[in-house]
Amino acid sequence: MDVQQYLSIFIDETSEHLQSLNTHLLILEKEPDNAETINEIFRAAHSIKGMSATMGFNKMQKLTHDMENVFSEIRNGKMKATSDLIDVLFRGLDCLESYLANVQENQKEGDLDNQDIIDELNRIYNLALGNGESFSVAKDAAENNAVQFDDKNLFKRVPFEEHEIQAINKGKAIGLNAIGLTVFLQETCMLKAARAFMINRAIESIGDIIKLYPTAQDLEEEKYDLYFSAYIITKKKPEDMIHIIMNVSEVKEVYADYIELSDINITNDKVAAVETPKATENITTKETPSIRTTQGAKAVSSRSVRVDIEKLDVLMNYVSELIIAKNSLKSISETIPGLNSINEYVEKIEYLERLTSNIHESVTKVRMVPIDSVVSRFPRMIRDLGKKLDKEMELYMTGEDTELDRTVIDEIGDPLMHLLRNSADHGIEKTDARIKAGKPEVGSIFLDAYQIGNNVIIEVRDDGGGINVDRVKDKAIEKGVITAEQAEIMTEEEAIGILFKPSFSTSDEITDVSGRGVGLDVVKTKIESLGGVLEATTERGKGSKFLIRLPLTLAIVQTLMIKMDDEKYAIPLGSIQTVEDIPWDDIKIVDGKDVINLRDRVIPILYLSRLLDIPMKEENKEETALVVIIKKGDKQAGLVIDELVGQQEIVIKSFGKHIKPHKIVSGATILGNGDIALIVDANGLV
Amino acid sequence: MKEFEVTCKGKQYIIVRVSNELLALDINCIDSILMKQNITRMPGAQYFYKGVINLRGEIVPMISMRLRMGIEETEDTHKTRFVIVKTSDGSFVGLIVDEVREVIELRDEDIDKVHNAEANNYSIGIGKYGSELITLISIDRMIEGN
Repeated sequence: MDVQQYLSIFIDETSEHLQSLNTHLLILEKEPDNAETINEIFRAAHSIKGMSATMGFNKMQKLTHDMENVFSEIRNGKMKATSDLIDVLFRGLDCLESYLANVQENQKEGDLDNQDIIDELNRIYNLALGNGESFSVAKDAAENNAVQFDDKNLFKRVPFEEHEIQAINKGKAIGLNAIGLTVFLQETCMLKAARAFMINRAIESIGDIIKLYPTAQDLEEEKYDLYFSAYIITKKKPEDMIHIIMNVSEVKEVYADYIELSDINITNDKVAAVETPKATENITTKETPSIRTTQGAKAVSSRSVRVDIEKLDVLMNYVSELIIAKNSLKSISETIPGLNSINEYVEKIEYLERLTSNIHESVTKVRMVPIDSVVSRFPRMIRDLGKKLDKEMELYMTGEDTELDRTVIDEIGDPLMHLLRNSADHGIEKTDARIKAGKPEVGSIFLDAYQIGNNVIIEVRDDGGGINVDRVKDKAIEKGVITAEQAEIMTEEEAIGILFKPSFSTSDEITDVSGRGVGLDVVKTKIESLGGVLEATTERGKGSKFLIRLPLTLAIVQTLMIKMDDEKYAIPLGSIQTVEDIPWDDIKIVDGKDVINLRDRVIPILYLSRLLDIPMKEENKEETALVVIIKKGDKQAGLVIDELVGQQEIVIKSFGKHIKPHKIVSGATILGNGDIALIVDANGLV
Repeated sequence: MKEFEVTCKGKQYIIVRVSNELLALDINCIDSILMKQNITRMPGAQYFYKGVINLRGEIVPMISMRLRMGIEETEDTHKTRFVIVKTSDGSFVGLIVDEVREVIELRDEDIDKVHNAEANNYSIGIGKYGSELITLISIDRMIEGN
C-alpha cells in the first residue's frame, strides 16, 4: 500500500492524539481513578499505535505499544498512576513527539533511541504485576467488550428510530428488500475509518444505506471496534451483499439477512443500547438525512469543515483587492463633478461600502482560531518545570476560547512560552522562601486571555517575588548598560524597561530554563513584529505581570492619512491619542530636545519631515504646528506633520525584505487611485 | 542561494543596456517589462533603491541599475524600461534600465564564469555574443548589498 498519501492525515491525527494524551495524563495524575480519562488515554494511544504501524513507523509503534500495556493495566485497576509512572509516560510522549517532528520534516521517524523509556516502562509494569507474570497483556479494545466475533445476529439487536422504520416500510412497499448486516474487520486492520468508508461505498453501489450503527460519523472518526452494522434497501439478496463486501480487503466476516419489522428494537429498548458503548458520543451524520439518528441525544457534533489556511489567505487577498477597488471607485467619483450630488449613486456607493466591510469582517472571523491550540500544552510544561526547578507551582488559565488571527496564533506560542518560563524560573520563589514570606506553598501562575475592542489581551501573571528593581539597576550598571547617575534618577518603569534590552538577564545562576539573557528582548521584538505591545508591571513581594496587547487582525487597519510635501503617509489610528494645534512658540527646547507641555505632561516632539528626509515647510510663526500625539502604553510623543487628509481604512501590503527603509516605515498600502502610501509605524517612534 | 545554472546549453537571456554596458538576465527570472511609471520614494532605503511601484496591486521595490553599478543617473528617456524580476525567494524586484535590447541564446562555451563570492559583486560570468561582451547578472546578489 502506498502510505504517502496518508502522511498528512497521519501527522494531523497523531499530533491531535498526542495533545489529548498530554492533557489527559495531567488529569490522570490528579485524579488517578478517573475512568473517563483513562479510557480516553487508552483510545488515543491505541490509535497512535495503529496508525504508526500502518505507516511503517516501527519505533513509534513499539513505544506506544508498551505505553498502551501500562494504560491497559491502569484501566483494569491493576496498576496505580503514580507520579513516577506519569513521568516516564510523559517522557514517552516527548519521544513520540520528536518522532512525529521527524516524520513531518523528512517523512522518516528518525533514529532517536527509546530503549531506556521502554525499559523503564517495563520495569514499572513488571513491578506492578509481580515479576513472574508474563508479558502478554496487550489487549485489544475489542476483546474487552462482550461481543462475540461469531455473533450472527448482532445487527438484529440494534435500536431503530421511527423514521428509519418508515424508510424500511416504504422500501418494502415498492418491492425492495430490507437487509441488515454486520461486518467484522480483521484484527490487524489499521485504518478502520478508511476501511469502513470503502465498505460503505461498496454497499452504496448496489443499494441505499438507511442506517449505520455506529453512526457514519463515528465510523469516520474510528469510534468503533472491529465491527459495525448497516441496513440497506436494495433489490439484491443478502448473499449478494456478503459477496460484494467480502471483496473489500481486511474484512474478516460478514453476516447478512433480511430484516423483519418484528426483529427490530425501537430506540428506547434498553437491551440493545448497551451493545456498542462507544457509538453514543456523537449523533449527527453527514450522509443523507434518512440516516440521521438521535440516540443518546448528547453533544451536537460541530458542523465545521477543515480548510487549508492558504485558501483563506487567497480569500483574504481578494477581500483586500475588493476594498482597494471600492476605494478607487470612491476616489473616481470625487473627480467627476456632479456625480456625488446624484442621490442614488451615493446610496449605492454607501451600500457597497457596508457590504465590503461586512465581508471583511466575516472573512476575518473565519480566520480566527481559539488560542487554546497554543496554550493547551502549557500546563504540562509548567508541571515539568516545577519538577525540574524543585518548586511547587500551578498554572491557571482562563479565556482559552479567545480567538486570534491564524497568523498571530502561529507566532504567539514561543513568546508566551518564554514569559511562562520566566515566571516559573525568576518569578516563583522556592517553597521555603514562600513559606517564610507567608504565602501559600504552591506558587500560582496565571495566563488570562480576553478581548477588549479591537485588541486581544494576554496576561501572564505570577504571585512570586516580583522584579527586584534595584538588582536590575545594579546589574545594568555592572554591564555598562547605564551609569550609576542614570540609575539614581531612573523610575521603576524605566528600570523594568532595561529587562527588555538585548542580552540582559538578572538571574545570577544560569539555569536550563532561562537566564541566558536571550529572552525578554526576543519576546518583545516578536510581539512588536505582530503589531502588538508588551508591557510589564511588578510589585515587590507580590508578583509581576506581563501584558501582551495584540491587534485582532493584521491585514486591514483604520488609519489617519496625512500629507507631507506631496507624499501621502498613513498612521494607524490605534496608536494615535489626539491631534493638536500647537503654537510654534510652545515648542521648547529642554536638554537639547524639543518638547511641549500638554495638559501638564511633558511630551517629546519629533518632526516627521526630518525623519523622512522631506524639506521642512517654512515655519510660519503666526500659524500653529499640527501635532499628532502618538501613544504607546503610557508613553507619548508628538509628531509634527504638514497636513491632515482624513481617516481611511487601508490594506497593509508588504514591500518585501530586500528594500530596507527607515525603521518607522512599517509597510505600504495602495490607495484608491493606484498610488502608494507608506505606513508610519508609531511604535518605533515612542 | 540559487545561482544561475550555466550547465545546460542554449539558455535564453534578455539583454539590457545600462549606460554603455550590456547585461544579460536569465529569461526564467523575468516576470514582465514595463514602461516607466511613478515611483514612490522610500525614505532611508539603500542608496540604489529608488522606491516602490504598484504592480497589479502588489508593492514592488525598484532598483536603479545605474546607481547599483556606480554610474551617474541621467534623465529617463523614451527607452527607459522597468524590468520586473523574480528572486529566488519568490518576491519581485524591479530594475530600471536604459534600454531593453533583445532575447539571445548563450551556450556554455560562450560563457566565462566568474567566481567571486563577494556579496557586492553581482557579476557571475561574461558572455560572448558576436563581437559584444555581456555581463551575466546574479539577481539575488544584486538586490542585496548596501
